[in-house]
Amino acid sequence: MDSIIDLIERCNRVLGRAAASCALVMMLAQAFSVIARYVFSYGVISVQEAAIYGHALIFLAGSAFVLQVNEHVRVDVFYARYRSEIRRRVDLIALLVFVLPVAATILWVSYPYVARAWSVLEGSRQAGGIPAVFLLKTAIIIFAVSVGLQAIATATRLFARKSTPAWDTDDVGGT
Amino acid sequence: MDDLQLLFVLVLFAAAFGAVLSGIPVAFALSGSALIVATIASVFGVFDFSYLSAIPSRIFGTAMFNEVLTAVPLFILMGVILERSRVAEDLLMNMARLSRGVPAGLGISVTLVGVLLAASTGIVGATVVAMGLLSLPTMLKQGYSPSLAAGSICAAGTLGQIIPPSIVLVFLGDQLSGAYMEAQREIGNFAPDPVSVGDLFAGALIPGVGLAFLYMVYQFCIGILRPSDCPAMVEEDGEDLRLIIILASLLPPVMLIVAVLGSILAGAATPTEAAGVGALGALLLAGVRLARETEGTTSARAIVLAGLAAAFLLIILRSIADLRLSAQDISAFDTGAIVVALISSAVLLAGVAAALWILRCAGTLSDTMMATMRISTLAFAILIGATIFSLIFRSLGGDEIVLEAMQSIPGGANGALLAVLLLVFVLGFFLDFIEIVFIIMPIVAPVILQSDINPIWFGVLIALNLQTSFLTPPFGFALFYLRGVAPPEVRTTDIYRGVLPYIAIQLLALATVFVFPALATWLPSVLFR
Repeated sequence: MDSIIDLIERCNRVLGRAAASCALVMMLAQAFSVIARYVFSYGVISVQEAAIYGHALIFLAGSAFVLQVNEHVRVDVFYARYRSEIRRRVDLIALLVFVLPVAATILWVSYPYVARAWSVLEGSRQAGGIPAVFLLKTAIIIFAVSVGLQAIATATRLFARKSTPAWDTDDVGGT
Repeated sequence: MDDLQLLFVLVLFAAAFGAVLSGIPVAFALSGSALIVATIASVFGVFDFSYLSAIPSRIFGTAMFNEVLTAVPLFILMGVILERSRVAEDLLMNMARLSRGVPAGLGISVTLVGVLLAASTGIVGATVVAMGLLSLPTMLKQGYSPSLAAGSICAAGTLGQIIPPSIVLVFLGDQLSGAYMEAQREIGNFAPDPVSVGDLFAGALIPGVGLAFLYMVYQFCIGILRPSDCPAMVEEDGEDLRLIIILASLLPPVMLIVAVLGSILAGAATPTEAAGVGALGALLLAGVRLARETEGTTSARAIVLAGLAAAFLLIILRSIADLRLSAQDISAFDTGAIVVALISSAVLLAGVAAALWILRCAGTLSDTMMATMRISTLAFAILIGATIFSLIFRSLGGDEIVLEAMQSIPGGANGALLAVLLLVFVLGFFLDFIEIVFIIMPIVAPVILQSDINPIWFGVLIALNLQTSFLTPPFGFALFYLRGVAPPEVRTTDIYRGVLPYIAIQLLALATVFVFPALATWLPSVLFR
């Protein structure tokens, strides 16, 4: 059991790092496309779209990691004053009644949507764009699955009272 | 409209509000409570699950493949780079040095830095914390009264939100443009002038800068009337205080920010393009800054400087020569210019690589990227959650209920507007700017904008109003966050007392913009029409 949880969290950390590097890729793509367009009047649609791909992948791939380190924004007017046992219960409810069903619903309604994109190998609407919209849409599935698994992993830890560095401490998430 | 629908809409609001307040992460509190209410409603036959099949295309259209919002992670990256590489810290210290002798010089510097760092100030908490850590200890050390110091920092931390290019204005502009189109279609105007993020930036500039000016006037007056509350800077030994040195280190970040904003307002670049170049520029400046204290990076620093020079050369070449690669009959002069421009681009690329390498040696590269990812992710997770919430809200007929409710408010369009402003003000006690933009705007903006209310004016009023709300005790967001980083000798009542004058200034500005809409609408009308 523990090894499965570790595996989930390791995968989500890798996803998080990949998401972080998307920020760099997106900046380079955006700057390249601006220089090409403004200096040389040379538009490269695929590079322009690469910036959009990078943008989308940042938060789709990063969400599970942000959940893992407990940094999704919460209103802590009351939360900050809970005793740690109450806080643990609120966290368990948040993960099992809110995060998990939301992830499952997104997975459920996105599957046909993404399958449709795959069935025609949906490409860009613009000539010269990246012919991989079906892959980009698949990231919604990755988002739902990784967030759902992370919710299960964190809930299991909280349930077994195994505190993680980010959860079940006095350190309240948020910004 | 039947009563059952009304009941479920009310339950939906109550459930979402309860879930958010109980401390469940906002993104999931919104979407989760909406899904739970939808499930119950479906049992009563008021909701059909087939509505949910629109979720993926909404996520794709509003959050993922949205060119305007691509600006957001880029502005965040720019802000994080400036902060992590201590360019922002230098900026504050140098401004403070420059303002020696000016009454309340340090306080005024804090306000100015708040204005300049607007790009990175999307999330109230992050900015107030950063400004608090940066300037509160210095202000207290210089003998500032705790309440004046705390008030100035809270005010400066929220000020950046209304000054372009703040990311909340990007989100707000994106929402407004959709809502305005929808509202105008609803009343039969099928070709309204579109509202863009650039319009909102231009509209927010005069009120934002005016507000900053009023802050500084207040600080200056205190500096003259009660100099003991804000003594002038004490000079420390061994510091190089020559004006030229200070100006030289002040100039690059200020130029970067002015260039980013200027290119958007001049209509030369979209916010997304300006953000991309801004982030690249910030990276180069960070490389130069960090090379000073990182060993073995002297040669890399030279490459970064060459890259910066190449960037300037590109701008000059573009204005004196025709660099179009696809042009017919390229003259000899233009051919030469194109070759030089291509070489400059290569040098710029090398400069970027060298800057990345310096950041990596200084150990800040991975931190910077991770922080950018985290801040972007939490904003967009809320956008996704709010998208699911509003989809279910509309499917339950909530938009019609809001329309009816707002039409029943006495006073016509202005009455409804005041009601919305009041609602947003109260919600600002509990929710951050981004949440309010994502939840409340899609619900009320399409109704409000059906009257002849100017969308830019409306957006600026919302922004000013929220900013005031964040400062208002006892709930204001900014106050909480400053409390978190303030030392114990700054009492909570000091913070409350310190922000009061700023709230008065805010209300004055809000009332002025309300009475004179031209303050928000004039600049966009001359810049972009």
